Amino acid sequence: MNKLIGRVIATEKWPTTMDKFTFWTDCNLKLHAFDIVKIEHIEGSYSYGVIENISHITDAESFLTSFISSDFGNAEVEAPTLRVGMNYVEASISFNDKNLYTPVHSGAKVYLASPDEVTKALGLNNIQNPLVCGFLKMYEDTDAEITLPVQLNSKFILGPEGAHLNISGISGLASKTSYAMFLMKAIQEQFMTGSQGDDESVAFVIFNVKGKDLMAIDTANDFEDDGEEERQRVLEEYASLGLSGQPFRQVHYYIPYYSNMTEKRSTYLSKEDVEDYIRDGILHKFKYSYVDDKESLEMLFADIDDPQQTMEAIISKIIDANDPDFGGISTWEEFRDKVDELSQRSQPSGRGQQRASNEISVLSWRKFKRIINKATKNDEMFANRANVNNSECRLADALKHISANDVCVIDVAKLPEEKQAFVFGDAVRTIYNLKLGEYDGESGVNPPTRIIIFIDELNKYASKDTPKSSPILREILDVTERGRSLGVVLFGAEQFRSNIHQRVTGNCSTHAYGRTNTIETATKDYGSLPSTYKNMLTRLEQGDYLIQNPIFRSLLKIKFPKPIYKQFKK
Amino acid sequence: MSQVYPDSPKSVMQVLADETGGKSYKAHKYGLDHAERPFIDYSEDTIIWERTAETNPTKNYVSLEKQALDLALREEQYLTYFLDGSRRVYKVDDHAYIASGGRSVIYPIVAGQIGVGCCKRENKIIKPERFMREIVISVPDIADADGRPGYFKAMAMKLSELPVLKRMGIEIKHIIPYSTKTDPEKFEDRGTAKIQDEMIQCEKDMVAELVKKGMLDSEHYLVKDGSLEYRPTKDIIADKRKSMIFKNNYNYVLGVSKNFNPEICRDVNGKPNPGYIAELPLYHRTPVACYRPNYKGVESDIRFAVWYIRLRDRSRTRTAFDGVIKVEKMLVTQEENEYGIDSDLVNMLSALLINERNPVCYGTDLRWANHLYPVYLTEKYVKSKYLSAESFLHLF
Repeated sequence: MNKLIGRVIATEKWPTTMDKFTFWTDCNLKLHAFDIVKIEHIEGSYSYGVIENISHITDAESFLTSFISSDFGNAEVEAPTLRVGMNYVEASISFNDKNLYTPVHSGAKVYLASPDEVTKALGLNNIQNPLVCGFLKMYEDTDAEITLPVQLNSKFILGPEGAHLNISGISGLASKTSYAMFLMKAIQEQFMTGSQGDDESVAFVIFNVKGKDLMAIDTANDFEDDGEEERQRVLEEYASLGLSGQPFRQVHYYIPYYSNMTEKRSTYLSKEDVEDYIRDGILHKFKYSYVDDKESLEMLFADIDDPQQTMEAIISKIIDANDPDFGGISTWEEFRDKVDELSQRSQPSGRGQQRASNEISVLSWRKFKRIINKATKNDEMFANRANVNNSECRLADALKHISANDVCVIDVAKLPEEKQAFVFGDAVRTIYNLKLGEYDGESGVNPPTRIIIFIDELNKYASKDTPKSSPILREILDVTERGRSLGVVLFGAEQFRSNIHQRVTGNCSTHAYGRTNTIETATKDYGSLPSTYKNMLTRLEQGDYLIQNPIFRSLLKIKFPKPIYKQFKK
Repeated sequence: MSQVYPDSPKSVMQVLADETGGKSYKAHKYGLDHAERPFIDYSEDTIIWERTAETNPTKNYVSLEKQALDLALREEQYLTYFLDGSRRVYKVDDHAYIASGGRSVIYPIVAGQIGVGCCKRENKIIKPERFMREIVISVPDIADADGRPGYFKAMAMKLSELPVLKRMGIEIKHIIPYSTKTDPEKFEDRGTAKIQDEMIQCEKDMVAELVKKGMLDSEHYLVKDGSLEYRPTKDIIADKRKSMIFKNNYNYVLGVSKNFNPEICRDVNGKPNPGYIAELPLYHRTPVACYRPNYKGVESDIRFAVWYIRLRDRSRTRTAFDGVIKVEKMLVTQEENEYGIDSDLVNMLSALLINERNPVCYGTDLRWANHLYPVYLTEKYVKSKYLSAESFLHLF
């Protein structure tokens, strides 16, 4: 039996409409934004509404009335009678079980909804290809509290119907990475159990950008700080969502190459960890060779203003196999020498022979040289070749051979920003080309139908301020605009969503809004949200998200369990 | 009274005119009530301070500030029930009756809605306890051509059977005749006065009901809006036993008036002394005076104790009389009649009333300085139950 909590109010000034209504309720009744209520409607039907705002009013006509009621400003005064007050709740209609969307009537009874009704009201019943994305709580901290798993249609997040996920929220308070990892964990598990159908498969490419956060995702969380009780509770939460509570499987780690002879390190993993991982065959050090990777050099110039397109001209010259200057070069050393030479020489040389390099000023060559030297000199990652017997690889080669359910974690945490961009851009391009079928002829290339790329700090590569010429932005736009049908899915996270290129966010089917600040919610990206939701975004708890997906009738406030893989102390 | 009107499309006034042999003029219908605003009630009462009605007679103001504060701190509360009656009066028609000499005289027909409500305070929250509504009509006494007893009662029943009323579940409770004797008073005012009397009767009935149910005692007082100076009926005055029951009903009832006539307050020399109330300091009360209503020359044996309390600082109110309430309590026991009310009880009740000064209805009611919030809420409750003026006038 549903609990009756109030009645609908409709007045001349505050009418009920097809999508909004107001009801009064007891001031002490605990209700929250996003809670669902059930309203009696015509022809025996029931409408369901989502709470947007709750206001408390009394019969005091003005602030002055209240002030006078304390003997003109004596805060100590206790009145023997409480002022008559009530709460009125503004809600929006989400659903009517007989499709009757005429406004609900004044005086209509308003009830709390049962779990089944909540599921129906939010459109969470009969979801095809269900993929769990968290759980929601209704009527929190009351006797009527309900916890429900929330599932979305995987075809609306992994394609082909809709693809890409954007997660936004303040660092440290929104747990963006944890949420993305939770979703990917759920996806991996559901694909491994075959619940998504035999013809569909998935793999993951994850970039570790901070510390060694994602460098042990195949190891279980020991809940060292939280204790056994918490561990049990989290495992139960996973179980209630239909998940195993096991860490990721089929994980491969890739760290930038460094020689064991030097003290310099390119990862936050300890020497022992690296050795252990290598022994287990799950870690490779990646290298870039000049012959194979010169085409990716442009990624180093992603953030560099190039209004005359001289850098672009130089790069196209370099990748031209028949170029008189760069045609035969096979190592980074030779390459740098050649660039050095070109930036020294006063041109034209006067040999009477017209050279392409004549068109590029020596100043441009010097700029190019500076950038190239900074990036490749003294960096062992830029090497002549990868020695596969020594757990080394070319990253692009490794990614080409990605197979179903693989999780590739690429560690770029310790790289400077421009090299992070280089690695990311190169990897995205490889995946994109792989799904385009560019490597189909090569042996051992059998990509899964869907590849998910997860990158934190998306704003570094696809912000509104990123130069239009940026090759990485181009890659990301390609992925977000065409990836849905190709099977390349981008899971991006950033602090401020308003910073991200509109064509990127615009193409994401799913949006997760974590805790953010008021400056952010004041931007026009959040203009469509009711003000209560905006304010709520500024005080969401860690692990709470507002989720938007085409199959949900409205925004949902969800929670997700703590990470199930090893956590490193901050 | 031979005809029956089962499906009559006729209006109530038409049927009333037909039945009483009058002629309905279908006059303009309008409300006779005045807007609620502070006013000074220049009624004909006389209170003389010379006779005190408390056990510790004093001629000075009594400060209650400390006692009020102490009671508030202890959250002691004995004022539990609040009662308010109100009426809305409308002129609904003019009827012409043939008077002596064949000339026709026009008399107004006055209708009223009476509402009496009682609210209870529990844990600082006011909740409705009882409500009573009556719809009455006041007609000139000559409407009853024969002067038979029970004529108007039967007529009221007949009118209530009309479909226009039946459909809405509305019953005309009484038809009350007003006097048509030559008098400077307007007929409309006479009708209004009759409806007012009926309202007072409803209030008395409700008090009697509360007493009968044993709801009032020394820890559960009833605060009634307005004066307690009910005129006891002739039979009550005549019958000692009835008189005693009537008085007993009021043992735990306080009448608190927002409006009073300051002129009636006379000093020991019998001269009016309104300044005595005007100068009452904040959170003080006046001495308790005794008052015996005098009704049409018949002096009843019912005496009232009357005193005044200032709730609001004079500098905060518009006039010197805003912020002062008049309190009445009936003298019930023989002892009280002889020696007056226990001054300690007066002080305690006054202190409790002082604590009722907050919250205020400032902004929504011009009489905020004199209003007690629980009474104000009761009044609001009663008024919320009224039919709107339009709906009500349409009935006739």
